[in-house]
Formats: sequence, C-alpha cells, structure tokens
Amino acid sequence: MSSAVVTPPVVKAKSLHCPGCGGPVELRGFGHTLSVVCPQCHAVLDVSSPLVQILQRAQQAQEQAQPKIPLGTRGQIEGVTWEVIGFQVRQIVVDDVPYSWDEYLLFNPYHGFRYLSEYDGHWNFIRTLPLVPEQILQGRVRLRGATYRHFQRSNATTVFVLGEFPWRAHRGETAVVDDYIAPPLMLSAEATDGEVVWSLGEYWTGDRIWKAFQLPGRPNPAVGVYENQPSPHQGRAGAMWRTFLWMAVALAAVMFYFTVSARREDVYSNRYTFSTGAGGEPSFVTPIFELKGRPSNVELQIHTDLDNNWAYFDLALINQDTGRAWDFGREISYYHGVEGGESWTEGQQSDSVSIPAVPSGHYYMRIEPEMDSKQSAPMSYDIAIRRDVPNYTFFLIALVLLMVPPILSTMRIGAFEKARWQESDFATVQGGGN
Amino acid sequence: MSFNPLFIAWGVVVLGMTGMAEYNGWSLTRINQVENVPKTVRDNPGAYRSTYGYYHRYIGGK
Repeated sequence: MSSAVVTPPVVKAKSLHCPGCGGPVELRGFGHTLSVVCPQCHAVLDVSSPLVQILQRAQQAQEQAQPKIPLGTRGQIEGVTWEVIGFQVRQIVVDDVPYSWDEYLLFNPYHGFRYLSEYDGHWNFIRTLPLVPEQILQGRVRLRGATYRHFQRSNATTVFVLGEFPWRAHRGETAVVDDYIAPPLMLSAEATDGEVVWSLGEYWTGDRIWKAFQLPGRPNPAVGVYENQPSPHQGRAGAMWRTFLWMAVALAAVMFYFTVSARREDVYSNRYTFSTGAGGEPSFVTPIFELKGRPSNVELQIHTDLDNNWAYFDLALINQDTGRAWDFGREISYYHGVEGGESWTEGQQSDSVSIPAVPSGHYYMRIEPEMDSKQSAPMSYDIAIRRDVPNYTFFLIALVLLMVPPILSTMRIGAFEKARWQESDFATVQGGGN
Repeated sequence: MSFNPLFIAWGVVVLGMTGMAEYNGWSLTRINQVENVPKTVRDNPGAYRSTYGYYHRYIGGK
C-alpha cells in the first residue's frame, strides 16, 4: 500500500458556535454528524437540528484524554483517504479493575465511516457490517466462510468523547460488547437499547497506522498478546514440520545407504563351553583374525544357553601388531519362573556390543567367562565377531534431534495462544495481567 | 515452501554427524582402550588383568 497521502475531495467544514461557551465548532461529517464535542469547553452538542442543544456539559473532573492521532489528521487506508473526526475512550471493569481503550472515528464523504481502536499498542481497523453473521454453534459464528470463536463479553462505557459522531455520543454511554475472533479478524456485536450493531475489525500494527497517517515519531510498542493479534509463529510450525519430513527422508536415504553399503563381514565365530567346576584357568584367547578396510566398528555377539543363571564375560579385543586393546565386560542373565499363576522372565540369553572405530589389523579376543561358583551346570555359548555393522542408534538419535526445532515451534504457538486466551472469558487459569 | 535457514543448518549438522558416526563406526558403548598390551598375553591369557576383571559380580533373578 502506498504511504502517500492522497488529497481528498475539497470539502468545506461547516461551522457553528457552542451554545455553552460561544466558541467555534467545526463539523467535518456533514449531515451525518448528530453530536459534536466543543473543543473549548468539551460540552457534547446535539447538532441534529439547526437549533444546537447541549447534550452533556463538561465535567470538571473529567480527565482530558489526548488522541494519539489528532482530530483532522488524514491518512490513506486501502486506497481511501480517511479523516479522523471523532475520538472516544471506552472502558470495561473486570474484577473492579478498569481497562480502557481508544476509538477513533474516520470519515470519508464517499465511503462513510470507519473506526480505529487501540489498546496497549494493538490497533484494529474496523468497519460496521450491513449483515448479521450466522450463528453456527454455541460460541461460534460464521461470516464469509470464516468461523469466529467467542472471546469475551463486556459492558463497555464511554468515558471520554472528542470531535463529532454520527450518533448522540456522550460520556456514560454503555453497550454490551461480544467479541468473536479469527485472527487477524475480529467480529464485534455491540448491543445498545435493543439494537445490535456488528462490526468487523482487522488487526493492524502501530507501525502500519503511523505509516498510513504519516504520524511523527514511533508508536508505542504493543504490550502482551491482543485478542485478534495474529500469531507471529503461525505457519512457521507447519513449515518446520514439512522441512522435518524432508530431513527425515534425507535421513532415511543416509540410513539406506549405510545399510546397503555396510560390509557385515563375519570375521570370527566359535562355540565354547564353560563350567565353574572344571578348574584351571578360565581365560583364553581366540585365534588371530584380520580386520580389513577403513576404521569401522566391530560387533561382538554372545549367545548363551543360560537358564536361571548368570554369566559375566571379561573381554578384550587386542591388536596383535600394536598392542592396543579394547577392554570391556558384559553380563548376561536369564531367569524365568511362575509366580502367582503368572509366568515371568527377566533378562535374556544373548548380548551384543559394538566396539567403535577399530582400525584394520590383526586381532584376537581374550575371553574370560565367570559364573556363580555354586552353579555346577556348564554353560555353552557362541561368540561371533562381525566387522562394519550398521548402528541404527545414531539414526534414532538424529530423528529425535531433527524433531526438536518443529516441536519448539509448535510449543511457541501453544504458548502464544495460551497467552491470548488467558485474557478471554474462557481462560483456563486466572492470569494476573490485563 | 519456506525453509528456516537455521533449521536447515541444524539438519545438515545432524545428518552430517550421523553420517560421520556411521562411516567411522562410532558407538555409544563405553569401551576402555589400553595401550601396549604385551604379546605374551596370547601365551598366558590369565596373566592379563583387564580393567573390568574381577570387578563385577551379578546377583540376578527374582
């Protein structure tokens, strides 16, 4: 949208004199204006007839609110030039705490009236609707294909008026306001004296307002999350999850490559028997075997016939050429039985271990089995050594790590929505904010 | 489709590290490395004292 202010049609403001203080009062809304506030004495004047009457006299105690967009300022929104002709401050009271927001009345002689509302740096550009949204469910209405959720009901009271209005605006004017949201849009139903007026607001940032009206300086920063403020994270989580899917496909391709290219070379296997009652030295060494190729892992598999028993293996993979050893121990236990009519098992008869990054060379294994000395039953076990076996643990870890960013993004969306609804009539937890 | 460059970088690092770990045969198992094991171990395996030997005694079962 262009930021240049287009000169509106040349219009002449109508002037009159305030019957209260005699000061001049300008009317910019032509025949639409029903009430105007005297800029000198702040009396609200009824200008619906040639005989101007005072609707409401100014109160000494009335706090003089200053509009952030001065009356008479013109700006361009969606290609139409609008002039600020009215300003009011409205207030709701929640738990005895008053919360107020500003509303600006915009006028264009060809397009009528629009409104701007501002609360804590959050702005809405609002137009009244000629139609009533369709009530589809309790707390939900539909308009032009979009579904709006009920956010809150409040009793709004006008506490300050300035400028002119197409109705008899005055301090103390009340309305029951229902807000329905579908960010960045918001439907509002204002009920006054049996009349309900629906309006549609669109969330605007302060920067956008400042640019449209070419206001000096910078707007106040927005505080908190407003009811129809679009989530800055919206759409990001979906994009993140789509990216994650592509990465998962890439990970699967990497896994497929290593699964196919892994050599899984059987380098040694043998069956042994061990008994605690056999006496003698339990440790022994295997014949020398050769590990070929680039540094890769070596998988040792042990399969026993343990039955309600345990065994411990003190193991070392030793390089015959360099004297380097990979020293480790493995315990295997397998128990089973029946207890309370139900069978149970604990442990298993097999175990495997992956020895990382073993260079090529000539190796042998030193194996030293150990069992409960009270157990006399011998144990048979198979030792199998394989070279370059895929380790899928890393792929599982990678998958989890790749999920972290989209999960965090999803959580941020949830946190934003929680902060939004915390301010509604449907907050799950009472917040301390406004 | 929009891609988050930081996420892409993260994915490249994760995939790269996974490929490197797989290529080099890394493992999460803690394996103690011992240098200069004498060649006599082959002749007298019982003389070798491993880090884990006679360290663990399992008392299993329910």
